[in-house]
Formats: sequence, C-alpha cells, structure tokens
Amino acid sequence: MFPRRPHSSHPIGRGTGPVGYQSKVRVIDRYKVIGFISSGTYGRVYKAVGRHGQPGEYAIKKFKPDKEGEQIQYTGISQSAIREMALCSELSHMNVIRLCEIILEDKCIFMVFEYAEHDLLQIIHHHTQPTRHPIPPATVKSIMFQLLNGCQYLHANWVLHRDLKPANIMVTSSGEVKVGDLGLARLFNKPLHSLFSGDKVVVTIWYRAPELLLGSRHYTPAIDTWAIGCIFAELLSLRPIFKGEEAKMDSKKTVPFQRNQMQKIVEIMGLPRKEQWPHLVNMPEYNQLQTLSANSHSKSGASNLEKWYYSTINSHSATSVPSSNASLGQEGYKLLSGLLEYDPEKRLTAEAALQHPFFSTGDKVSANCFEGMKAEYPHRRVSQDDNDIRTGSLPGTKRSGLPDDSRQVKRLKE
Amino acid sequence: MAANYWESSQRRHWLFTREQLDDLRKKLEDQGQDLVQGYPLPQLRHLSIYFNQQIARLGKRLGVRQQAMATAQLYIRRFYSKVEIRQTNPYLVIATAVYLACKMEECPHHIRLVVSEGRNSWPDFFSGDTSKLGECEFFMISEMSSQMIVHHPYRTLTSLQGIFSLTQEESALAWSIINDHYMTDLPLLYAPHTVAIMAILLALVLRPNQTGVQSVGPAVGSIASAAQAALSSVHSSKPGSSDKQNAGPRTKVQRLANWLAESNVDIEDLVDCTQEIISFYEFQEQYNEKLTREQINRFVKARGLDK
Repeated sequence: MFPRRPHSSHPIGRGTGPVGYQSKVRVIDRYKVIGFISSGTYGRVYKAVGRHGQPGEYAIKKFKPDKEGEQIQYTGISQSAIREMALCSELSHMNVIRLCEIILEDKCIFMVFEYAEHDLLQIIHHHTQPTRHPIPPATVKSIMFQLLNGCQYLHANWVLHRDLKPANIMVTSSGEVKVGDLGLARLFNKPLHSLFSGDKVVVTIWYRAPELLLGSRHYTPAIDTWAIGCIFAELLSLRPIFKGEEAKMDSKKTVPFQRNQMQKIVEIMGLPRKEQWPHLVNMPEYNQLQTLSANSHSKSGASNLEKWYYSTINSHSATSVPSSNASLGQEGYKLLSGLLEYDPEKRLTAEAALQHPFFSTGDKVSANCFEGMKAEYPHRRVSQDDNDIRTGSLPGTKRSGLPDDSRQVKRLKE
Repeated sequence: MAANYWESSQRRHWLFTREQLDDLRKKLEDQGQDLVQGYPLPQLRHLSIYFNQQIARLGKRLGVRQQAMATAQLYIRRFYSKVEIRQTNPYLVIATAVYLACKMEECPHHIRLVVSEGRNSWPDFFSGDTSKLGECEFFMISEMSSQMIVHHPYRTLTSLQGIFSLTQEESALAWSIINDHYMTDLPLLYAPHTVAIMAILLALVLRPNQTGVQSVGPAVGSIASAAQAALSSVHSSKPGSSDKQNAGPRTKVQRLANWLAESNVDIEDLVDCTQEIISFYEFQEQYNEKLTREQINRFVKARGLDK
C-alpha cells in the first residue's frame, strides 16, 4: 500500500515509490533495556529506563509476532492485544497500572508501562520463606483496599478484568497497589455478541468464580470480586484457598466441567443451595453438583469458611511472630464471606466492599501498603540472559553464548 | 474513559475546532504539494460519501453491524486527519478500518476473510496479500495513538427516545441521520450527545412521513429554518410549560426545546451541528460517484499503491 523503500529514513510518502510502514519512534532510541523480567504466551516483558531523562523505570511488554516460515510477517494483531492496547490507552487511575506509550515497530508491539518492583505473588511467596510468617494486618488491609479501589474503577468504566490473581497485582516500591495485565480485560457494556461467545474460558482456574465453573454464559463484574475474595484468603493463609487441578479440554474442544476445582470450593464453602442462590438450578452444569455431594462432602453442606478464617488468622500467633492477623477480626471474616458469596447477584460489588466496616474499623487504611514495615521485600528478579528487546523474543532465534552484559549486546546489534 | 465520554481519549485527543481541523489538513496538503496538484480529488464530503459506499459494500459481504461500520468510518476520518490520502490506497485503508473496528466492537473477522472480500469488492485495486492489511493496521493504530475506543451518538439516542416519546419512525429517522453524520466532520467536531440531539431535532422537524432524508434536497432551506425556529424558541421557552401526552411532532419539538433550556447542552454547538448536516445534504445532491471513483483510482494506479 504505502510506497516501499527498504531501510530508508525518509518520512513516509515523501518519495514516489512505494514505502512500508515505519514507526516514527524506535523503542531502542527511547529506552535502554536493563534486563528481562518474564515471558508468557503473549510475549516477553523487559525492564528499562528512559534514554531522554524520562523519570523512573519502565516495564516494556513486547507482543510476540507470528512467524510464517523464516520471515516474520504481519498477520493481523490478536483481538486480545487490541483490547489491551485500547483499554490501557483510556484508563487512568492510581490503582491501575499506567501505560506510558505504545510503539509499533518492526512488526512488533511494545507496550511501555510504569515499572512496579513487586507483585502479590512474589510478596506472598516471600512470607513462606524460610518459614511461614504472616503478612502484617495493616499491609493486608491496605492491599485489599487499593485492589478493590482499582477494581471499582474498572467496573465503573464497564471494564471486566477477568484475570485477577496475585501475579497480576503489582505493587510499587512506595507501596501502591496497581491492577495489571489487562490482556483478558474487556468492555461489558452492550457487547454485540454475548460475552460468552468470544472466549470461552477466562480466569486462572484457582480464582475462577463458581458461576463460571457451572457454565454460566453471561457473566458480570462479580467474577472479578470472587477472584479478589480468593486473593484476600491467599494474603491471609499464604496459599491459594481453592487449589484445584484443571481438567484439560478434550479433543473435541468442548469445555469440560471443572470437577476438581468445584470440589475444592465445596470443601470450604459447602454445597451451594438454591435457597441462597435462586438461579443455581439454571446453571448448565447444575446436575454435576449432585455428583460432587456424593463424593466427599456428604455432611450438612454448611460452610466451613468461618472455621477456615479463624484458624488461619490465629494459626500464626502460636509462633513467636508478634504480628498475627488475629487483629483483622470479625470484620475480616464478613468481608471475605461477602466476596466469596456463591450467588453472583448477592456477592459484594467492589464499590460496596470499599464501604465495608473492615476498612473503617481499627487502624486507618494507609495508601502505602508497606507503611510501618521495617524490612523491604526483595526486588524483582531481572535476568541478563536476554537483553535484546528487538530480537530476543522471536521464536526460533534463541540466542546463546552472548556476553552477559547488556551494553555489549546492544553494541553488537548496532 | 471507556464509559465516561468526558474523560475519554475521544474528547481529550480527537475533538477539534473547525480551525484546528483545517490547519491539520492544510499542513498535509502543504507537505505533499506535488501530489495534491498532480492528482486532484473531489471535495472531502464527496470522498466521504464514496468511502461510506465502499465500507457498506465490504460490510455487507462480511455481515458487519452498523455500529462497527460507524467505528470504521471514524477510524478512517481520524487517520486521514493525520495522513495525506494520496499517500495511501484508500481501499486498503477502508478494509483495515473495518477489520480493526470489528475486533474493537467484539464482532471479529479473520484477516484472510477480510482480505478475500476486499479483493472481491475491488479486484483491480486490492492485493490478496494479508500482510499488506496487517501492515496497514500498524499504520492506522499508530496514527490513532492506539486510541480505538469510540463513543457513538446511538447510545444517547436510545436513552433519549423514551424521554421525547419518539415514534418508531422518528427514532429510525434520527438513527439514519446519525448514520449520515459519519460522512461529515461532525464526529471530530462535536460530542456524541450533541450529535444525537441534533438528529432527534431534525427527525422531529423533518417528520418521517415525508419522503426521508435522501430526497429532501430542495426543501433543505425550509428545514433549516424550521430547525432554527425550534432552537431559537429554546431561549424564549419557559421551563415547565404544559406538555400533552401523545403530542404531535410540533409539541415534541417544543418539549425538546424546553428540555434543552434546562440542560447543559450548548445551543450554539447544536445550531452549528444542524447547519453542518443540512449543508451536507445539500452537497450530497451534487455527488458524482463516477468522477470520485475515477479520481481515486487514478492516483492509486499511477503511484502503484495497489501493489
């Protein structure tokens, strides 16, 4: 379409011959990559600093381009990348990770975010090392408030996150919690097609709401608040509260009933009953519940959540650690049970949860979740194995034997 | 943000004054003076009508809903406020906008299907190479700074039709006026609710039992003055004056005027907005599809942009 002019620095279209698309800014001109953070199905994340005095540090998410044969081709950007790019360009809230810019260059997409030193997964993990010691109650409270605050903002703007889990909740070194990774997020105001038809499976299984496990087709912001309930429980017990095993899709690509995950929920929450959840009987997988009850949970079916909660918050106090979570008290249980309510219509909304007495009783909620802490959490691991943001993630171009020095790698490249 | 027009990228980055828009376009022309002189094009309104026809053609083949086509039209208008049209293959830009809009509006089509339907629609001007469309997608998103969530007037219309007791015909007419406004600069100049109210006003003044918007050409002058009269009554009308249920169009216009008097809607904007669409309908009369097509096809071929 556009005049083609290989490797020319002409601005687009000045010449007469055809040119290809060229980004006006180049990611390596604007940022200096200082290390590799992580990779996922979408691509890779790098840590970087600005080259032109842009303050602070950055996390650059690079989307993996598709590859056809030896040559990387433009194959059309995935719908989820489009959603993430579009949503992040609109969102602006102190508890949602901030997008700085997006650079489309060399058939790759680079989303530049503010850098966050920690995430909840890492913080939770730290408290299991070398022995289990609880996250201080003031920290738990602050994290929960900020997390709900970010989620409330998303929901008020008709955005479902759909993948809330500890690894996606970022925490900056100044103790600000930021909801991150909107790769599965989408708008839920008047979708042209039902939300179900798009992507059949969402949310990492341990944080998946019961209505999704039971095959609900139209889901709501309540799936995010269930996940927040699971995260709250995990902040208290330092392990996932419902740690089920995922049933894999069969060859016909039908979505299987997640029996094991539902079983884990039932073990703590009891069996859902239609008296407390009127639409339960309309759930596509409703009949599966009978088979569950026959298994291990034949007793009254009452919830064990209260027992789980008190034994969790008191368990650490037996040790020598002074700051047990016992101070979170009864209001903590009420908030948890409100978030882990079976009926999505009765489940606490993010907005209602923010008004919960849990946050207004006891110590004032701090906007810095690390306030009053003596020790600092370990910094995010940044590896030097792959510092070349321009080629590093290309499938089949795995590089080895490069000097373990970013500047040297850079120079080789240029 | 996504639900809130006031904080949206649309209001913050894609709302211009007439002068700003003229400057942007002047700058593009100045940068490519040789091209502009070498390949004359019809006025922008007529190009927009042509693009709209082509989007509708492609959209029909793909079964795309109106809202996604509206989004595509807005993408094209934004894109061409940043890029000189003669630098591009408009057919590729149209197909790319439709492809991208469908993803954004949650009714995606595979890139290969869009390309093959593009090729069916414009066999002499459209490459079957999907990577061309993929490349153009990068170009388009980049020029739009990834700001792809758009607010349409349809939602305001839907929520206001009850308040003004619009009949089905009146709503349908207002809806089609909104469809038409994508062929003008209005979506870059006014908030979507302003456009929706303009459409309701015009629908009430035009009356659906008349022959419809397409053929109002000769009567445009009288419609304009009727709309003006309705708007000027906004200033004089007293809030709370009595409304009858099942009121005819005239009392509905009065009710709208009363409602406007109490709202924060800028009446000046509404007047300008009304004038713009009316003058569009006038220019529509002079549209020459053949000439427009030939002039576009000429530069596409001469510059090898279809390759």
